[in-house]
This record gives sequence, C-alpha cells and structure tokens, in this order.
Amino acid sequence: MSAIAKAVADRVLPGRVWLYANYHCNLTCTYCLTESAPKVAKRELGAQRMLEVAAQARALGFTSLGVTGGEPFLLSYLTETISKMAEMLPIVVLTNGTLFTHARLEEARGLAGAPVAIQISLDSADPVANDTMRGPDNFRRVVAAIDALVARGVRVRIATTAEHIDEHELERLCELHRGLGVADEDHVVRPIVRRGRAIDSGLGVDTDLIDLPPELTVTADGAYWSPFGPTVHGGRLDTDLLVSRTTSPLDKPARILLRLVQGRAPGDDAKLDIR
Amino acid sequence: MELLDARRAPLLARPFFEGGDPGAIAATIAHVPEVLDATMPFLAQMFGPSALPARTKELVILRTSALLDCRYCIQSHSIAARDAGLARDEVLALRGDGPLSNQFTDGAERALLDWVDAVAGSTGPVSPEIGDALMSHFAEPDVIELTLLAGTTMMLNRFCTALGLPTSPAALARLAEDCLL
Ligand code: SF4
Repeated sequence: MSAIAKAVADRVLPGRVWLYANYHCNLTCTYCLTESAPKVAKRELGAQRMLEVAAQARALGFTSLGVTGGEPFLLSYLTETISKMAEMLPIVVLTNGTLFTHARLEEARGLAGAPVAIQISLDSADPVANDTMRGPDNFRRVVAAIDALVARGVRVRIATTAEHIDEHELERLCELHRGLGVADEDHVVRPIVRRGRAIDSGLGVDTDLIDLPPELTVTADGAYWSPFGPTVHGGRLDTDLLVSRTTSPLDKPARILLRLVQGRAPGDDAKLDIR
Repeated sequence: MELLDARRAPLLARPFFEGGDPGAIAATIAHVPEVLDATMPFLAQMFGPSALPARTKELVILRTSALLDCRYCIQSHSIAARDAGLARDEVLALRGDGPLSNQFTDGAERALLDWVDAVAGSTGPVSPEIGDALMSHFAEPDVIELTLLAGTTMMLNRFCTALGLPTSPAALARLAEDCLL
C-alpha cells in the first residue's frame, strides 16, 4: 500500500481529489471565491488532464473526485469527461445549474446510474434572496434544472452557501429540495468563505490552513491544500494555500500535502465543515 | 516580478518568511514552492557558515558577481563582505574599482582570485597553472566547495539579473553609509 493510500485509509488525508476544470462562468455571484465571470481568464485544465488526474488519483489510493470551477458545464466536453472519470472513481460535479439546455439534459441521461452526483447551488428558498446573490432568474432556472435532472435519474445534490441561515429559512429550503426529489443527505449548507469576491462584498468567514480539510486540489496553475485555496482576488491568483506548481505525477503534490499535514501541530484539525 | 510577502507565501514557503523578509531571491522563488523548498537549504549551506572562512567565501562571491555584473549580488555581498571583515578598499577592488594586486597580497588569496577570474570570467577549461596554484594553497575539499560556490553564485547572478530583482531599501541605506553605492 502506498504512503498516500495508507494516509487516506487512516483518514490522515481526505479521500477526495478536486479538479478546477476552469475559472470562467456565466454568472458573477457576490461571494464568488474565484472572481469568476464570463470574460475572466479560463485557466482550463482540459479533458485529457482531467482524465489523467482521475487515473493517477485512483492509482494512488484516493477514493473519490470532485470537479469545480468556474462553471464546468461551460466546457463542451464536460459530460463525456465526467462520465469517463466516473468509471475510475465516484465523482461530484459542482455547477450553478443554469446551463442545462434540453441538449445538455439529454446528454446528462448518460450519467444516470453512474457514481456521479451533480451538486447544484441554491442559496435560498426565496427567489428574490437567492437571485440577489446569484443573479437574475437564477432561482427559476436552477429549480427547473434540478427537476429535469432528477426526472432523468441523475443524482442531484443541493449546496446552499449562506452567511446566516435561520431555522425557518432552512426548513423552507428543505421542503423545496424534498419536493424536488432531493434527499436530506444530498443537501449541504456551507458558510461563505472570505476569499475572492466575498472580500470586496464584505461577506464570509476568515479561514486559514487549520480551518480547511486538506483535500488535494488540482488546477491549471498548480496543486492546492483545498478547493478553497486556488481563489482569485483583484484579478490575481492567491498563492497562500498553494502546495506545489507541479501537479504531474500527482504523487508529487500528494506527498507534499501529506508532509504538510503531518507537520501540523497535534490538534490542528479542520475547524470548518465546508466540504 | 512579484515578490511574495508572508501573506501570500505558499505553504512550503511559510517557514522561510517566519523570521521576516527572506530577501528578494526567496520571495521570488516562493512562486514555485517545491523549488524553494529544495533550493533554500542548498543556498543556506553554500552561502552560510561552512568549513571555509567567511572572508574566503565572500572573496569568491563578490568577485564572481562583479565578473557577471550582477547589481543585486554585488550590492548584497558588498555588505556581507564588509560583515566578514573585508576592508572597504578590498570590496571596491573585488568590484573592479582598482587593481586587485594592490589590495590582495596573500598568496592563497591571490591564487583564489586568479581561479575565480578563470572560472567565472571565461569559458572552457581552467589552465593547469591556475589550478595547480590553487591546489598548493587549499585542500581538495576546499577547492571543490569553492568551485561550487563560484558556480552557485553565477547561477544566482543570472537569476537576479535576468529578473531584475530589487536591492532592499535597508541594504541600499547601509551601502550609502559606507559610500559603496
Ligand atoms: S460562485 Fe460559482 S456560479 Fe457564482 S460566479 Fe462563482 S463560479 Fe460562477
């Protein structure tokens, strides 16, 4: 068993490897970690590289994958690529859920029954509150996409990113997702992390190393400690949570990450549950 | 070229920022943390305390930097040379302001400077006469370390010059005080 496989088995390292498929997005959310927008640098990983990372992650003993961005579904090859990646490891794909045209939905049928979860952002059961954060007409499009994906047998998770959420608001959201056929275990609520555009919007909680689970995250620019690491602020890529610029072979950043984890003081474990 | 600060220092680079500003070279290489992680212990060994006297090492570093015309290293190591006990006139001579022969009369130091001029100031093999003269004053491990020191300095000279690394304001103030700017 490799040192990485052992660390994953012993829960010293989380089992998931994240991939930043791209950085551009059709939306411009107020709290976006990556300052994503339609015209930003794409920083695209590419289908070939995504498949390589998946294969290397599996060979090293990681147990699952995550794909995020930017908006990954802006990439024409995404569905086919995640379908192939899912043959190697179970995968969750984060999306804003606004790009599911009829053609995309039909393509997504191929994901039904595969170990793939499409995680869609929905921040409030109140369309106005949701759309204030995420853009006009977001609520309607997202709800329609969730409904259509569930109808096609695709596993959907819902991610709610919120600064504060009271019990009443949470209950409304849960009623909504249950009504859409999304189970409670597939609804995650995460705090806003004060990085990227959230800094300028005055939102979120400050984080550092010890707050974040060490989930190896591969981007076009290098490997990071967590998917909350390769953020962008003021148009500049953050480097404070950079593990290494080298990402291939994956063994290299994985070993550095393990070394960093093992170098932490005892008890310095992740404080925030923001996976 | 952005010099990373402690706030933007990548994880592997953080230890190098713990004692304050690590200098322009480390703050630049920090962009590639795995390279910094491998390079800094090597540079610390090459430029820090070792079996060779600090004065001897600074002769090699400053003379090499002058031959490669590296403004950053000449300025930084003029200070390091003064701290290692070199006189201001010796520093100036190593930098090419005045003949070396007036300042350096010790046989070992003359042989060393001839060797450095051959290693860093030209290409191709070093003449046997210059090599033999050096070997008559220094033990084999010393020659190996001195040669690696000249080579490492040349690497950093080109790195600092190509990227135009800035000399720190504190170093410039110190040089001004010593009329070495
Ligand atoms: S938070 Fe997600 S959906 Fe919103 S702008 Fe950023 S990448 Fe796009």
